[in-house]
Amino acid sequence: MSWLSRLNPGNRSGRSAAPSNPCTADPETCLMVFENHWRQVSWVLEQHDSLSSSDDLIAVRNHTDQLLCLLAEELPAEVPEGSSASVPPMGPILKLVVTKSILERLLQWHLRRGLDPDSQGALLKLFEMLIGQSQQPLLQHTAILHPLLRLLGACADSELGCPSALENSLVLLLNQVCVSMARQPVVLEMLFRAAPAQQGSTNLLIFSLLVPFIHRDGAIGQQARDALLLVMSASASNESVAQYIAENSYFCPVLATGLSALYSSLPRKIEVRGDDWHALRREDWMSVSSLVLFMNSFEFCNAVVQVTHPVVRSQLLDYLHNGFLVPVMGPALHKSSVDEMIASTAYLDLFLRSVTETSLLKTFLRFILMHRHDNDTILDTLMTRISSNSRLCMVSLSLFRTLLSLNCEDVMLQLVIRYLLPCTHVMLSQRRAIRETDLYGKSANKFLSLIPECCRVNATPSAARDEDREAFWGKMLSSPTTEFQAPARPNTPSRLSFFIRQQSSGGGPSSPTRMEPLHLGLSGPHPLSPDSPIHQQHTRTDCLDWDSGYLEYLKDARWGIERCSWACRDWSAPYDGENPSPNTASLPPPPPTSNPSMAMFPEHFSLQQGGGANTPRVQQRAAIVAAARSEWSSSERDSGEWDVTIGKNNCISLTPRSKKRSLQQEELLPKPLPPLVTSSSVTSLSSSHAISSPPCQITTSAGTLSYQAMYNGTVSQGDGCLDSRDRGLEVKKVKRDLGEQQYLDENANQNGTMVSGSTLPNNVFSNSKITITQPAAETKPLMRNISEPHSTSTDLPETNQLQQSVESIIEELLEQAPEDHQQPGDSNGQGISIEAFTKELRELEDQVNKHSRAACQTEDIVRESLSAELQEEVVMEAKLAGKVMGDEALAGIFSPAQPLNQPVSQPYTVKSRKSSFGDLILRHTNSPTRARHAAQLAFAHVRDGSQSLHSALFRGGGGSGGGGASGLERQAEALRVKNAVYSAVIFCEFLKELAALAQEHAVTLPFPQSEEAEE
Amino acid sequence: MNLNPFWSMSANSSRKRVDNEEQSGHGEQRASPSRLPFGKKQLPPIPKTVAPITKPMSTGPPVQSTNGTHASYGPFYLEYSLLAEFTLVIKQKLPGIYVQPSYKSALMWFGVIFIRHGLYQDGVFKFTVYIPDNYPDGDCPKLVFDIPVFHPLVDPVTGELDVRRAFAKWRRNHNHIWQVLMYARTVFYKINTTDPLNPEAAVLYEKDVQLFKSKVVDSVKLCNSHLFDQPKIDDPYAISFSPWNPAVHEEAKERMFAFKRRPEDHHKGTQVSGLSWVKPGSTQPFSKDDNPPQS
Repeated sequence: MSWLSRLNPGNRSGRSAAPSNPCTADPETCLMVFENHWRQVSWVLEQHDSLSSSDDLIAVRNHTDQLLCLLAEELPAEVPEGSSASVPPMGPILKLVVTKSILERLLQWHLRRGLDPDSQGALLKLFEMLIGQSQQPLLQHTAILHPLLRLLGACADSELGCPSALENSLVLLLNQVCVSMARQPVVLEMLFRAAPAQQGSTNLLIFSLLVPFIHRDGAIGQQARDALLLVMSASASNESVAQYIAENSYFCPVLATGLSALYSSLPRKIEVRGDDWHALRREDWMSVSSLVLFMNSFEFCNAVVQVTHPVVRSQLLDYLHNGFLVPVMGPALHKSSVDEMIASTAYLDLFLRSVTETSLLKTFLRFILMHRHDNDTILDTLMTRISSNSRLCMVSLSLFRTLLSLNCEDVMLQLVIRYLLPCTHVMLSQRRAIRETDLYGKSANKFLSLIPECCRVNATPSAARDEDREAFWGKMLSSPTTEFQAPARPNTPSRLSFFIRQQSSGGGPSSPTRMEPLHLGLSGPHPLSPDSPIHQQHTRTDCLDWDSGYLEYLKDARWGIERCSWACRDWSAPYDGENPSPNTASLPPPPPTSNPSMAMFPEHFSLQQGGGANTPRVQQRAAIVAAARSEWSSSERDSGEWDVTIGKNNCISLTPRSKKRSLQQEELLPKPLPPLVTSSSVTSLSSSHAISSPPCQITTSAGTLSYQAMYNGTVSQGDGCLDSRDRGLEVKKVKRDLGEQQYLDENANQNGTMVSGSTLPNNVFSNSKITITQPAAETKPLMRNISEPHSTSTDLPETNQLQQSVESIIEELLEQAPEDHQQPGDSNGQGISIEAFTKELRELEDQVNKHSRAACQTEDIVRESLSAELQEEVVMEAKLAGKVMGDEALAGIFSPAQPLNQPVSQPYTVKSRKSSFGDLILRHTNSPTRARHAAQLAFAHVRDGSQSLHSALFRGGGGSGGGGASGLERQAEALRVKNAVYSAVIFCEFLKELAALAQEHAVTLPFPQSEEAEE
Repeated sequence: MNLNPFWSMSANSSRKRVDNEEQSGHGEQRASPSRLPFGKKQLPPIPKTVAPITKPMSTGPPVQSTNGTHASYGPFYLEYSLLAEFTLVIKQKLPGIYVQPSYKSALMWFGVIFIRHGLYQDGVFKFTVYIPDNYPDGDCPKLVFDIPVFHPLVDPVTGELDVRRAFAKWRRNHNHIWQVLMYARTVFYKINTTDPLNPEAAVLYEKDVQLFKSKVVDSVKLCNSHLFDQPKIDDPYAISFSPWNPAVHEEAKERMFAFKRRPEDHHKGTQVSGLSWVKPGSTQPFSKDDNPPQS
């Protein structure tokens, strides 16, 4: 009932329970009450003495309150019969208000006696109530509109301004005005036409009052943005208002440059949680208030672009490009610290993923593709970062994934197609072949042939089974006569596998082991019956199959290609080798050579080694120092770790890795067999693990892993670069010696060690199980999944367990180890003997080296073949495949580090392969579960081994006390080995995926171009 | 039997039903015509009723993949090669020819050819294509008409068309199955009498065209009179004809005309709108644009 309680903003519902409940009161009574109030108010108003008392003010307020409540709740008069007026006639109270200019007079009185903030706020709230609640289109009457504008004008007054206490009320009122304006478009016209004299300096007062609140935090900002959006959509069809907004208001510049301001308050470094983090998801940024603020404004931008008039839109986009992207995003992406690069790349990725409006997306893409920052396009800069070995690579890849997912012709043109158009990568005589369909699975075969020996199930085929399979397949309907007599039987693989699968799964709970017949490997679920129970059952079983899921890959590939070719059906050209013609295509630009950010981090960028010779020495000087710095700091971090290298004679060498990496890379260039594991990638993995898991503090405190140094690169040891280069030679020598020695060792071991199948790791595991004290509970479910596959198909919790990523397993392993370490008493009591342990270790090394060597050789092959023979096949399908597998293969192949118009024989640097590894792991983190399953299962072969390795290592370290350092080394080594095996497995899954894509391409039908009407 | 302009074909998907049942309007019939021209390159679904085959019996020549190490994927190569061939057939849009791979084997295709003018006008000939299992390295595929058409190049007993004369040696990468189908169509428009499989037809064509013509008309009539017969080969995807029945076929026909191929739906509701601001004929990004921002 009281003034205050009614106008309490939080008490909106209280208003409907207004004093003189008019719904029940009859209009005549209301009018009488209103007139009565008005009589009393007008008596006060007419006292012209300037010294009106506070009593007067209270009286006026009370009466005004009653008056406006009555007005707000008056129903419009009934439409007289026969009247065709669209606007319902005014109710009697409104009529009185209009004819007597009641509001105008009230406001004049207030203004005359000087509007104190209290009354101002009260009036704002009253008007807000009036407009929000009224049943009649009040704003269409100038008798109401003009006092309102007068009140707002007072708020806009530069001297009085709007006290911050009133901001909430003001924005709420403006919001209400905009809401009713959206309902009655004519109001916009009236607002716009109202004489400038009456509302101050600007035409659209409401608008200019709202603009300062665009980027505000909290509810007030949201209300302001909502209100502005309403104005925007209301003005979408009003040319003059749009013109006004574009030319006379600060809306667009405020919006765009506001983004810049908000961007500058974003965290420079993103605190990452998991090791596999590579992109900002919603849950990541919802907790970062500055990012929430930015995203609110950004989404508002997107919404404005969506609803507004084209004039405003193009102005806003211009401002965004020139006021935000170029001056803010551009430099942010080129910050010198890796952390900042990571952050800005992740932000850009997030923005791109958040945009829904095509024209806004276009602005972003144009910025990425066309804008040159320090002579290089953003795209080129981003591309060079793929070959970095840190999280920057992951984040950049994630950004590229987003870019590719757009199926945008312009992006693909810049990224891939322009390099292929001139067809300089194909001999003239071979060009015709580009257009030919790969009918017989040549590419697929090529891809599959790259699968490392160790990952092949059929390496040990039973001859009989082979025959069986061939028999199935070989059964032919070669002549009509046989056909008519013999019972027809399915003889194509999908069907074939289906039947075999039924057969085998019906055969009881015999667990499929790795040596299970090939059929299982072939038999994925049938592509067309994903819902059948058989499918479900088999998917489970497939998870346990090393070589499973090829049909799944085919299915995914088909879907991906279809979706992609559908999305690309409106591209300007088919890019089929004929159109556009190779002859008219201009040669692609050379790769960027003088990218300062690349020079800053030579270890991140493979190009540096190749192109460094061309650039002037002086220019390079600073870069080298910086490089040395980071090299030094990273080598410091690496000290005590080991490089696994494969020499010419295929021997494995373990070399202490210290301050020699840059040189090693150069020396290895001409070698056919580069080191097994790219050292830095492993290192970054291990170090980040060390950080992420608290128990590893020991590691950091030991001084071997210096996270700070790694990222900041501030350790001032610039002179170290020369040293390190010189010293590299010596180390190299040592390494070779070591290698030979190791070779002998290996020979010796091979005699004694049986490295067949899974027997060895199992043995090892069962031995070491005794030594594991507490972590058994954690690892057991996983083990059981491996050993008892049939129980998993019924047991849900265990299936979930199975889906755990391999990373988490590694983490688990790492975590459990130091815990053991912290309980030396336990480990002393139950530790195994050193002899047994070293033997175990050696066996494991053999086992693992076997895997890794194969993986390494394969890598070499795939590198060559990817760059040479297969290139043509892969890339001319770039239009389709590019988007499907662009984030896997193409980005790697066509990075400027390996320009296509250079001879393919140019050797890759060692580092360049890292991209593919990082890439694979990145893929893995988002990959369908099957890849994960496969990798996990494959990993199991070494996992149980490594596990014992770990527990043994830390037991040994804890027990002997002095062995701590070597324990750390071995931990790093074990990790590296795991990484290698893991990579090998993912690699072969990747090959399967590529093969599946190649096969599906041959059977794809293009979609016809959509008609103009569509879209 | 005169020619009904509303021929309708339908894959005999419900092969389980009694064989001598009248062919007219069966509710479960697939809208096969719509599948043919736009057929998805999919493996046909497997009805759950099909009994699994328990034991392989014969030992045919093993299919060796090129390098031998990936024999496990060999079957995929063959099946995908055939799928690719089928895709090529679809792309060729051969007039009056429709084919459909068998359910039971990708190496057997059912087809029908409509002859629209010439001596064999109004002929509707069903046929089966048999692809050798060592495709693409084997002989050329066989094409056998269900009913031996009276034609110099068609064996009067087996109904096999003499394909080999056109494809003396089957060359992978150069010869494709669509060419065989094309050839099968051509022989009815351009009659060749050299080295005939049906000497009678050859002689008549050269010596007594009138008699030849009347024999052809008889042959066409014979073929068309057997049009509604059950397919010769018991296969769910065999092509079977039934008289026009609006209740059944009208809807299928409409779907055929209204059909628009779209990508298969996938559970991920990702954005598929491809973007392009490239001016046709240009290879410059954003060339379509008329007002680039001033920077």
